[in-house]
Amino acid sequence: MRASRQLIAAFVSLLAAAPAVVQAQAQAGEWVSYRDAYRAMVQFEKYGGPKNLLQSQLQVQSRDHAGLGEGAQLTLTGKTTQLNLPLDALGRTVFPLTKAAYDENAALVLNRKGMPFVLRPQVTIAPRADGQYDAADLRTACAQALGFVRYVDASQRARQCVGVRFVFPRKGSTETAGARLRHAEGGEQALPVTSGAAFTGDPDEGFPIVTWRFATAPGRAQVVTYNAPLAIVPIFE
Amino acid sequence: MNKLLFLALGAACGTAWAQTPATNPMPDGSRDMYVGLGVQSAPRWDGTGSRKVSALPVLQVQWSNGLFISGMSAGMHLTDSPTFEYGPLVAVQPGRDETGTGQTVDGASSWGTTLIGPVPDPIDKRHMVATRLEGMDKIGARLQGGVFANYYLTPQWRLTSSVLYGAGNDHDGARLDLGVQRLAFELGSQHRVSVSAGVSIVNRNYNQTYFGVSREEASRSRFSYYEAGGGLQEAHVGVRWNWALSPSWMLTSNLQAKGLLGNAAKSPLVERSTNLTVSTAFAYRF
Repeated sequence: MRASRQLIAAFVSLLAAAPAVVQAQAQAGEWVSYRDAYRAMVQFEKYGGPKNLLQSQLQVQSRDHAGLGEGAQLTLTGKTTQLNLPLDALGRTVFPLTKAAYDENAALVLNRKGMPFVLRPQVTIAPRADGQYDAADLRTACAQALGFVRYVDASQRARQCVGVRFVFPRKGSTETAGARLRHAEGGEQALPVTSGAAFTGDPDEGFPIVTWRFATAPGRAQVVTYNAPLAIVPIFE
Repeated sequence: MNKLLFLALGAACGTAWAQTPATNPMPDGSRDMYVGLGVQSAPRWDGTGSRKVSALPVLQVQWSNGLFISGMSAGMHLTDSPTFEYGPLVAVQPGRDETGTGQTVDGASSWGTTLIGPVPDPIDKRHMVATRLEGMDKIGARLQGGVFANYYLTPQWRLTSSVLYGAGNDHDGARLDLGVQRLAFELGSQHRVSVSAGVSIVNRNYNQTYFGVSREEASRSRFSYYEAGGGLQEAHVGVRWNWALSPSWMLTSNLQAKGLLGNAAKSPLVERSTNLTVSTAFAYRF
């Protein structure tokens, strides 16, 4: 029995040392394993279905929903890897898929000490430089996004594309954050700007958004944005 | 990031059912490896109230080509689909001698380190008569072969299954494991908890090997003759808590409750049909 007791005693002493490891890590900032993020983000790369109208980004969210604040930045840190990943207004960045960082078991560190965070892959519709989106293209892009969502989540198979949500920067007036619907016959109609979250479940509901549901314009049409949106989010129901 | 930070870390000893980690896509030529050591408190054999504390080696390796080792199991993911996993599987079934299960974990030695395997138990055996399997045939550790298939209902919920054949002294024991897992609840920034439940169905040969008592064994042991048929053998539930101390270090702890059913539960070897296994280990991620 003595060996068992010694074994337990030795392990308990190791357990006692664990908080010191955590404390040392906390001083360096909150982190997430690059390998774990890679596992989630590479799914879009490996997806073999149509995705030419889509883009995939990594979104950082504070766990306590307090927001990241200005100047938030993610850093990829490994033995030989040091890469700054600036975040946009929605907390997103392009995720670098690098073998070196993976093999080094690098960490993604947020420059916010004491702010636990989570990472989420976000697949959105790629914005166009001219700000003009054919309804058919938006429907196709939404279908592409739904195809990917169904690929990673079997429970989403019953959902359908119903529209898209244009998310605009918070700065500026609501007149500049908006879009209009241009009908094929020439008529134009301003789309209402409301306030809401960029992505379902996001705690920050203060972004100007324009939601366009496909059913409101079943024929040929075009959505024209006044300014570049932060994101174009497919809506599934 | 539904499967983010999920880890099905394999415990190398005392795990009866095969473990298959989730598909882990990675750059070509890379691998993801955990190696660790901890302690485990487990019944000496299925169904006994006598427990032993032993060292618990931890090993999980996944390679970019889909090959994996997870505890006492090894296999290969033949698909990189996020919703369906399947492939071949081999697993080492620990042997059993008169002192209990796991004293001869042959598969562990193939990992090439003397650290792996249970610590020799110095308990004074003169006082252990009632908690031993004296007179029972020794069962050798066996390499079983089979397949696994897992289906994700959602990225968080996974149905698991595996079939393995080759257990027992005659290499003719077959076992079907069916289960469900809830992957990685996030509790705090670096704490992940996953839960699982499942049942095991075995053939007659399997049950007879581990729960039957032959006439020869009955004549030289304290157990009466018992012929164990196949069928539902056990139901189990478990919870695993992974605490990521740093990108490289992790504390992984596991609690498993197992209830023997059917012919296994009626075996004279079984003193109590419900058993608990508790383990905790430090693991380093390479």
